[in-house]
Formats: sequence, structure tokens, C-alpha cells
Amino acid sequence: MTKYSICLPALRRGAVSFGLGAGLLASAAAAEDLPVWHNYSYDGEIEVIKALMDRFEEAHPEVDLIRTQRSFDDLALTLRLAVSAGDGPVVTKVNQGAKDMGAMVAEDMLIPMDGYISEYGWDEQQSQSLMDRDRWSEDGQFGEGTTYGISSLAEVVGVYYNEAVLEEAGVALPLESFEDFLAALETLKGEGVTPMAMGMATGHLGLHLMAAVAQAHIDASHRAELDDLIYGRGGSWKTDANLKAAELMQTWSTEGYFFDGYQGIGGTDAVQLFVAGQAGFMTSGTWYFGDLQSNPDIHFMPMPAPEGVEQPMAVGGVDLAWAITSLAEDEATQDLAAEFINDMVSPAAAEVWAAGGYLPAAPLPEGSEVELSALLTEGIEAWTSLNAADAIGHYPDWSTPTMLTTIDDNMALLMAGRQSPEEYVDIIDADYQAYLAAK
Amino acid sequence: MKTSVLDGPPRRNLVFVLPGLILYCAFIFLPILSAVGLSFTSWNGLSAPRWVGLGNYIQLFGDARFFTALKNNAILMLFYCVLPLILGMGLASAVSAIRPRERLAVRTLLFMPYIMPSAVIGVVWQWLYNPAFGPINQGLKAIGLGVLAVPWLGDFNWALPAVGMVAVWYYFGFCMVIFLTGLQRLDPSIFEAARIDGAGPAYVFRRITFPLLLPEVRIVLLLTIIASIKSFDLIFTMTRGGPANATLVPNIYMYDLGFQLSRYGYGATVAIIGAILVFAVNYAVHRFLKPRDGA
Repeated sequence: MTKYSICLPALRRGAVSFGLGAGLLASAAAAEDLPVWHNYSYDGEIEVIKALMDRFEEAHPEVDLIRTQRSFDDLALTLRLAVSAGDGPVVTKVNQGAKDMGAMVAEDMLIPMDGYISEYGWDEQQSQSLMDRDRWSEDGQFGEGTTYGISSLAEVVGVYYNEAVLEEAGVALPLESFEDFLAALETLKGEGVTPMAMGMATGHLGLHLMAAVAQAHIDASHRAELDDLIYGRGGSWKTDANLKAAELMQTWSTEGYFFDGYQGIGGTDAVQLFVAGQAGFMTSGTWYFGDLQSNPDIHFMPMPAPEGVEQPMAVGGVDLAWAITSLAEDEATQDLAAEFINDMVSPAAAEVWAAGGYLPAAPLPEGSEVELSALLTEGIEAWTSLNAADAIGHYPDWSTPTMLTTIDDNMALLMAGRQSPEEYVDIIDADYQAYLAAK
Repeated sequence: MKTSVLDGPPRRNLVFVLPGLILYCAFIFLPILSAVGLSFTSWNGLSAPRWVGLGNYIQLFGDARFFTALKNNAILMLFYCVLPLILGMGLASAVSAIRPRERLAVRTLLFMPYIMPSAVIGVVWQWLYNPAFGPINQGLKAIGLGVLAVPWLGDFNWALPAVGMVAVWYYFGFCMVIFLTGLQRLDPSIFEAARIDGAGPAYVFRRITFPLLLPEVRIVLLLTIIASIKSFDLIFTMTRGGPANATLVPNIYMYDLGFQLSRYGYGATVAIIGAILVFAVNYAVHRFLKPRDGA
């Protein structure tokens, strides 16, 4: 018969190992996963968002952020399906407007954030008119009611210009009016320089240029008409401003104001060609600051005012909103998600964005010593003056779920001369009226 | 006599086909049934589907975009089926006449495009066609043919043929290999006899080679027609159906309806009609393109 004896040291070692293992398991179980989806896809943006998320994890060692990066289109494509399947993010960026945020609110897929707005004081950092863009009422009215998101970055669609290219062509700066802008385009064309960078194969440079021209023809004192249109309260796209913009787009296209073969060039390629000094102007948003600051000759300004318009509107607002999805089932998860969002929209985060060359929606902390690029300084000036004049406009595609497709399809026809400006505006308005009728 | 276990009654053998049957049902048959069911509903992918009966089908037959997609698909068939078939047959004749070692090298080289993923091919050709720095337009400009350097994928007239030519490049090697196999099957004495009788190359091709290759022609047509009606990846990576629907095909339209506009019911209707088209066209090929012996 075998005799068994208790080996105390071995038992002690075993107990210690077990305790250590159990402790490790317990700490692993205590760590909380927080799936986060975002659309920051340019190199500079990715660097900043990674830094911000790393900082959050350092401050919250019990939280594991699971970061998923999607392009703007891919995010729109997959977000709703993923959340409805129960396998999506707890915190996500979501595009404002009827197609994405509106649809998700209607299906109770986003958590109201008004409580957190008061708790963290986000409304002290961002104006009400900016926060209206994340509001949906119970009866599906955009721009009012409960708030479902908040953004990190401010956005202004304005005019980028290459100072060196313009000076070499003999264009006098600064451009004081829209008429000066048109004259500068003429001068550039006369000198054999491509006046405007454009690429229509991918991206939305065409939409941004057209909307910037149209909204520059609206005085901020008459903004209610545009607000009503975008927030689905009614109105018509058949306006002089839209018609004028459509006429100019067609003229610029057919008379060679854009890159040769711009119809087959992607938006990102067009931006790179502009950085390389291949055109005098480019109209797009401040989200390109990080990429464009590599060329010190590139500057930014809002679209200048046409004659008779005192304070022109500028397309813009904020970037996609941070939101909490219905996958945050319990209060603790919702609170954690809100804490993460608070970190992303804080003045401290604004400082990191600004250091990366991007225009933050929140003000920089007092006494901030962050070194701003020349481009960002111009962007902040534009943003401050436009906000002061309540002249931040809207993206036209927010107005209906189908508007982006309608604009993309018909703008190509307009610019190829296959559709008259009047037909174009009629089709855009028909899309809008059909949406109003179906609401 | 020793009998196989497979000679038993069918219900006993069911167990052998069950794994395959389950996979087929789970991944093919049930999704098809679901799509059919979905096509009778209006569904945004989030809330409960709403029964609309034949509403989607009625709407589809009055939908100008759908007919544009069908017309584009019909034009693309020329590039997916007819041109690769002609090119493949011509090359097969030429390659079959060279020495075996060289034949292997040339055949491998010409078959190469077909082994590449078509999405990768789409991305590569999108770059080749780029008007700003793509080598095609750069080359045209370098040899003084700048007037031909059009924005291939952004031009309303050229976008569809430009995408189609990539399909020709993708499929001609596949067609050639099938025809080479067919040519090796033919008895050389028939051609010798024809030559002795004084038949010229054109006559030999029209009266002997082509009729004898009809089984291969039928296979090539069936496979390329299915590929053309299924076309999605090349177009998605190169133009996404643009500019302004100039390269829109039913599958891209179905994708846009479902994933961009959240109209899954209507998108399923497009899918069902597309599937019916595949069956109809292939039935026509089966029915009307038969070798004389009915093989």
C-alpha cells in the first residue's frame, strides 16, 4: 500500500499559484471591453484618435477600448445593421441627418444624451445651433428635441488657395468678394493654370463646391429658410442661390476650369494634385487641414461674399457625432461610454486635435501653448467669425435619406452638360418634396 | 455478388448526403427563399418588414434606373462573352500551332489574368485608367495622341466600354484554355483530309473546327453569361455604377438599394429578377446552341 504524506511547502506553493491565477483571472474579468467605431481615416486623424484613445486607456486601466476604423461610406453602410444584429459598437461616430442618425433614433438604437450634456457641461463648450444638428424630436423632427450626439471637430467648407500659384499668375490677394474670386479664376485660366482642383470619381468635392457657392449667396440674416429646408420643416430647393451655383458648376466644367479629365479622378487624388501645386483653388472642408499643411503656400478662407450679401453663409458645422448605441444596455456601460465621449470632446482633446492641425469644436484650454499651424490659425479665425455671425450653414445631403445619391447622380449629368441647371434644381427639389410627403 | 452500402434503399443513404444537404439548405436554398419572401415586403433592415405583395415587382417594371441597369448589362455581355470568345478562339488556334514547350509558356501567360481576384484587377485598372497619372493616358500623350486621352471611367460614353475591356482582358485567357482543350480533342486526320481536298483555312474553320468546338462554345457562353449577369466586383471597384448610372448593372443597383438606401425588400426584388434572367438566358443557350448529335 502506498503511503501519502502532505508536503506542506508544495501545498503552500500551489495555494500561492492558485491565488495568483485566480487574481489574474479576476482582474481579466473585471476589465471592461468598450467597442468604439469611428470614421477618422486620414493619416493625421488616425494618429490623433489613437493618441486620445491610448490616453483614455492609460487613465482607465480597467477598460479595453476595441477600436474599429471605417471610412465615411463604410460606417454608414454597416453601423445600423451591426447595432441591430447586436454585434456593433457601444460608442460610435454617426452621421447627422435623416439617413443615419434619424433612422437610428427612429429605431431606438441611440441613447439620449441630454443628461450627460448637463452632467459634463458640453453645452458650455458648443453652441446650441451646433448641438441642434444632433437633435431629433419624438415625432421625427430633425433639429429639435432630444440630443443624441456630440462632435469632436468643427468643420467649415471654404476656399483653399495656393498663394504661390496665385501670385505667379498675377492674382492680387486677398480676395475681398465672390466677384474677386471669379476674376481670379479667369486670370488663372488665362495663364494656363488649372483654376480649381476637382475630382468626381470618388468623394464629394463637387457637392462641397456647389453647396459652398450656393450658401455663400444666402445672407446669414435669412438663414431660417435654409435651416427649415435642412431640418425637414419645409421649403424649396428651387432658389436663385441654388440655380446660380448649378449654372456656375456647369460653366466651370464645360469651359475647363477643373483638372483635365476630372470626371475620372478621385477626390483624394485631386487633393494630392492640389497639394502638389497643380491648381490655384480647391473648395472643401477643414478636415483636410492635416494633409494640406505640408504645403506652406496653401491657405484657407471662407467663400467670399457676393455683391449684395453682407454676411455669407458657409457650409459646415461639426464632424460626425459621437453617440452611445442601444448596445450599452446597463447604466454602468452607458456611463462609461459617456465618460469616454467626454474625454473625446474635452478641451484637453481639443488641444491634441489642434496640435495635429485639425479644427476642434471645443475651445482650447486657457493658457494652452499648443503651436498652431498657419492653416489652422486661419481655420480658427474663419470658424470664430462665422460662429459670431451665426453663419455656419448645412450639408445639403442631410435633408433627406436619398439626397446624397440624388446629388451625386445628377451633378455628373449637370457638369457633363446633359442636364440644364433648371432641370438639376428641379430634380433636387423633387427628391425633397417626395421626402416631405412620405414623412 | 458483393453489394455496396450505397445500393441500399434511398432513405438509408440519406445520411451520406445529409451534410451536403444541410450546408446547401443553410447557405443557398434558405437565403434564396428568404430573398423571395423579402421581395414581397418593404423593409428598411431595422424595423419589421411590411407586406406589400407584388408592389415591388410592379414598381420595378416602371423603374427607369432598373432598365438602365439591364441595358448596361446587355452591352456588357458583349465584353464578357462575345469578345473573349472570339479572341479566345483565335488565340487557341494560333497557340495550338506552336511547339508544345512554347505553347505551355504562352498558355500560362495568357491565362494569368484569370487567376487574379477580380476586385484587385478592378483597383489596378482604375489606376491604369486614371486621367491624371495613369500610364494609359500618359502613354497616349507621350506619343502625340493626347486627344484620345479621355477620362475613361468618368466619361459617359467611355465608362462602360472601359470597364468592359477589363472584362475582356480577364476572360479571354479562360476562353482560350477551354478552346485549346477542345482542339486537342479533335482528330487531326479530319484536318489532313480537308487539306488534301483543297480546303482553305477559313473554310476549315467555318465548316469543321467551329462546328466541332460547339460543346466548348456552349460551356464558355454559359459561364461568361452567368459572370456577366453576376457582374459586381469589377464595376464596384472601378466606378460604383457611375458616372450617373452609366455603368450601373442590376447587382450594383441591388447593393445601392439595400445597403445605401435601406430598401432591402425592393433590392431583393432586383436580385430575384436577376436570378430569373440568369436562368432564362442560360436556358436559351442550352436550347438553341446544341451540337448536331444533341450532346
